[in-house]
Amino acid sequence: MRAAIHGDTAAYRHLLQAITPVLRRVVQARGTGLGPDACEDVLQDVLLAIHTKRHTWVETAPLRPWLYAIARHKVVDAFRARGRRVEVAIDDFADGLAAPQGPDPLEGRDMETMLNALDPRAAEIVRSFGLRGETTAETAARLGMTEGAVRVALHRALRTLAQLRERMIE
Amino acid sequence: MTTDDLIAALAADTLPQPTVAQRLARSLPIALAVSVAAFIAFWGPRADIGATLASMAVLKTVLPALLLVVAGASALALAHPGMRADRRLAVIGVFAGAVVVAFLFYLLRDGVSGLVMALSKPSLVVCLVSVPLLGMPLLGAILWSLSTGAVLRPRLTGAVAGLMAGGASASVYSFYCDTDMALYVIPAYATAILLVTLIGAWVGPQVLRW
Repeated sequence: MRAAIHGDTAAYRHLLQAITPVLRRVVQARGTGLGPDACEDVLQDVLLAIHTKRHTWVETAPLRPWLYAIARHKVVDAFRARGRRVEVAIDDFADGLAAPQGPDPLEGRDMETMLNALDPRAAEIVRSFGLRGETTAETAARLGMTEGAVRVALHRALRTLAQLRERMIE
Repeated sequence: MTTDDLIAALAADTLPQPTVAQRLARSLPIALAVSVAAFIAFWGPRADIGATLASMAVLKTVLPALLLVVAGASALALAHPGMRADRRLAVIGVFAGAVVVAFLFYLLRDGVSGLVMALSKPSLVVCLVSVPLLGMPLLGAILWSLSTGAVLRPRLTGAVAGLMAGGASASVYSFYCDTDMALYVIPAYATAILLVTLIGAWVGPQVLRW
């Protein structure tokens, strides 16, 4: 995390990938009535929050309590908001936990809606890192922007995404 | 978008973010400048301000300003999950306790009639209106800075932000206020600062959510 805050992309990605399975289990354990893709939406909320609030971790303090505090806040928030419209079908009980999950259980639905709400260029930049796995330089070259502009645009887009998701929950 | 794609996008965003303390250090002087400008335009310092600052009455300026520092330490802890805030909040409690003890000392010395006499002044209303007004730009700047943190107890944090803003604005207002009796200053300033604290606690849950 320390490396991540100081701009080490590979270390940061590694960290996020390492904590995601743990967070996913936490979310799924709390949200048995929500269905797998709603759980994945909540998980993505938590990851976005960890990202946008990473500067509130005190570098000399242990990381784990901080991570759990952020995750707990977001999970409680998400379930409180979604609790009003929890979709529980009878089939869910019939299928039980062993039932095969949907086509892609790791696909969140909300994120696509939110990306469509961004302006097209910002959404394109977020997608180019996520779906295409491009580097900053490649994205910059393809969109005819400077690398610095791509970085700023990505930063703003992620911040807007976090705010949009926040507003959607309200 | 899958979670792995999201992680890739997040990891690519390496722009450094200013910390809450840095934002506070940037926004608070601006807000203070707005407050002081409004003060100079509409209130202005009392005539004998030089002599006042050389007397015991300087405590009217110093103690509220100290509250900004004491409450500020708590607010920063409250905006950082994993940082312990309880000890810093206890310091606010000690501060408030000392003020109450000082008030009781003067109350026992001069009696209730002394308190009634001290408070029956038109400047009391001016104080209770001026301090919250002068505190608004400060409260705005403090809440804005804290909202970029990760506040888990928004109402408490909003109240602490109100204490900071109220303390700073009472300190500014003290340059105008020409009543120096302890039995006036302690209850009047404390009530005015508590008004700003209540406003902070009221708006905190809306402003500090994330």
